[in-house]
Amino acid sequence: MTASDAILNVSDLNVAYGESKVLFGVGLRVAPSAIVACVGRNGAGKTTLLKSIAGFVKPRSGTVSFGGTDLVGRASYDIAKLGVKYVPQDKKVFSDLTVRENLELGSYSTQDYDWERVYGYFPKLRQLLDRKAGYLSGGERQMLMIGRAILGRPQVLLVDEPTEGLAPSIVTHLKDVFRDLSSSTALVIVEQNLPLVCAISSKVYALKEGHIVAELSRGESITVDACERYL
Amino acid sequence: MVRALRWWWGLLLAFALLAISRAFLPLPFVNEVLIFSIYTIGCNFLLGRVGFISFGQPAYLAVGAYGTAFYLFYFGANPYLGILLGVLSGLVVSGIVGPLFVRLRSDYFALVNLALAVIVYYLMQKVLAGVTQGDNGLWFLANIASTPVLDLGKPEDFFVFALLVGLAVWAFYKYLDDSIYGACCLATKANEDKLRFLGYSNYRVRLLAFVIANTTTALAGAMYAVYLGFVSPEITSPSRAADPVIVTILGGVGTLYGPLVGAFIYTGMKDAIAALVGNWELLIGFLLVIIMLSGEQGIWGTLQPRLEKLLFRRRLRSAGVGAEARE
Amino acid sequence: MDPQLLPSGVIFGLSIGSIYFTMAIGLSLCFGLMRIISLDQLLYYSLGGYITYSFGVVTGSVWLGMVGGTMVAAVVALAVERLVFRRIYEREITFSMITSFGVLIGGIGVIQFFWGVVPRPVAVPMMTQLNVLGTEVPVYRLVVIGVAALVYAGIWVFLNRTITGKAIRAGIENVEHVEGLGINVSRLFTLTFVIAGALSGLAGGLHAPLIMVYPQMGLEVLAFVFMVVIIGGLGSIKGTLVSALIVGQVVSLGSLVYAPLAQMAPFAAMLLILLVRPTGLFGSALLKR
Repeated sequence: MTASDAILNVSDLNVAYGESKVLFGVGLRVAPSAIVACVGRNGAGKTTLLKSIAGFVKPRSGTVSFGGTDLVGRASYDIAKLGVKYVPQDKKVFSDLTVRENLELGSYSTQDYDWERVYGYFPKLRQLLDRKAGYLSGGERQMLMIGRAILGRPQVLLVDEPTEGLAPSIVTHLKDVFRDLSSSTALVIVEQNLPLVCAISSKVYALKEGHIVAELSRGESITVDACERYL
Repeated sequence: MVRALRWWWGLLLAFALLAISRAFLPLPFVNEVLIFSIYTIGCNFLLGRVGFISFGQPAYLAVGAYGTAFYLFYFGANPYLGILLGVLSGLVVSGIVGPLFVRLRSDYFALVNLALAVIVYYLMQKVLAGVTQGDNGLWFLANIASTPVLDLGKPEDFFVFALLVGLAVWAFYKYLDDSIYGACCLATKANEDKLRFLGYSNYRVRLLAFVIANTTTALAGAMYAVYLGFVSPEITSPSRAADPVIVTILGGVGTLYGPLVGAFIYTGMKDAIAALVGNWELLIGFLLVIIMLSGEQGIWGTLQPRLEKLLFRRRLRSAGVGAEARE
Repeated sequence: MDPQLLPSGVIFGLSIGSIYFTMAIGLSLCFGLMRIISLDQLLYYSLGGYITYSFGVVTGSVWLGMVGGTMVAAVVALAVERLVFRRIYEREITFSMITSFGVLIGGIGVIQFFWGVVPRPVAVPMMTQLNVLGTEVPVYRLVVIGVAALVYAGIWVFLNRTITGKAIRAGIENVEHVEGLGINVSRLFTLTFVIAGALSGLAGGLHAPLIMVYPQMGLEVLAFVFMVVIIGGLGSIKGTLVSALIVGQVVSLGSLVYAPLAQMAPFAAMLLILLVRPTGLFGSALLKR
């Protein structure tokens, strides 16, 4: 794959918080409708990588090119509007707002009110519309977070630890959703759950202490063993 | 001996400079600067070391001033005893309100103190008007007895006294900064959870800082009372609530000599602006905004590293230590 | 205390509370969304009062002055937000407190420059008295209460029925997530700040006929307004309403019992409430960033 087929092309990204460097010359390429996974131990810099793509962390140097436009230096709301959306790890929905209001805010910037598509992925949300999001369970919150993010049909979805702390049945459900979504949206997923990663990803990057230490593609076998070797 | 000198030399130099400035500058000005800097160091300590901003310092200033004034107006004549009583009343008041206030988050803390200053103002102006004579204030200059050695009724002697008190206060705060307790204060400002994990109580560290700082403020109030021979509610007027905060910022938050530099420049500027323009609020306000926007280091905070570089460069080079290693 | 005075005392307290509420709601929103303590709102309050005075003198209509005061306050707030606050949102809360105090003091200097230091009286736009439960009550005070009720209703509708308001409520919980949804948060900040400034101006205009306008008028109410915000809990709208009503009544009824209590009693009430709930009546301990 050459750089030009990639919808998202990160190259030589250096990120630091104050004096401590977190990412060292990280590069990754994401093809349209691919699922790319990032694995690594806690503190390897996975979340920082997603946040710097989404514009929440300003990199020291490097480029993040999205379909030809450089995202570095743009405000995060601008990046989200362009079609690169970030789903944070913390599962913090706006708990004082209802599910409906949460979805309205997702629709606001992109003017996409195709909620039926969201219900298609997560039928449960339809019944919960008027409930305050603070009363949702962990799985329901994650559905709402992803549902809110896919309004506006982003071209790249950055998902941070989506299955952390969720029940196995919901993980299976999310696996199907991700597979399905990838037909129209490229996904970059940071995930600890290696069996899930191996089941859905077309490419896996292993991140260790801020460096990319391995890049596994579909061609080679993406297996749990292969991933574990780099952790 | 050498170590003691190294510890003291900065303090001695600063106060020697002030003593010398007496030869060039009018006496009321230097006296005002001395008292004002003592007034400010408490606020500087709270903001710079503990991370608590207080818009209510005039409340404690007034407590000290009225503690002294009541004694000198109604009971006795010895100014030293009067100052001691002023300081004691500051200690008592901060000991009473401290346990309530230091539990609050820093934003609530600032506003609660401001409210206290307003309340003390009305207390002195209206509620206790029978004792404080309201807006007219208490005049007791004639009551102050002359004392041997340093006669506080005379501005020249008061200057020597204020210089000595200032030196003692600064030595005390320098000692605090160097002590484990000073480190605890910085730690409670930076990360209260981690200080707790080390086995210290944030509450106690803050309470002690609150009492120390506000007792110092009360000392400044007591000195004002004796120096002016007069106290009125104006001392805690809400429009002056931010004076110590402004001087703290002006000098440099958390620096030892910031209050001295800040008080010197603020008092000088206030006099100059009042004489020339007559509208000092305008300039002080905009100066404050500009200092905050340009990095909030204040005057001494900006000067200090440069001076150090200038003075120590040779010594450091001979010791084979690069300038960066000092960081 | 004369029971005959009770109804007018309650209405007096309601009108004072209404003015405090109109100011405090903006402060509370600013704290909730931007995590700033904007002492310069007191400047917009004074400006509102002064513009009401000047418009009233020029046009003869104090009502028109209040509209003008609200608008001028909003414009000045917009300018201050652009020039000053834009640069300090990221900083700690004490930082905004000190900087905004600088703006307030500087602004008082500007007011002195234009209007001088002498207090100016503002004509009460309605002199009519109304008989309520056997006591005469000035209708103007009822109008003040009505305006504050409209402000509350307006803010409620704005926050709960418009998408921008919903984004502000969401931002009070988590600004970063709002931004992640593609919403320009800095525009929300500006809007909130300008709304707060306009409401402060309105409060100044409404208050002006009841007091006189003078340069330090902002500092005079500062402690009371912040008391309202603190008692209600920083960042809570419901709390602000409840505590404004409490403080208004404590000021008014307190002064009926013993005149100097007007200034002291709210402070005692605040201490009591903070002792029981250190984050105010409706404040959340989680609101820390």
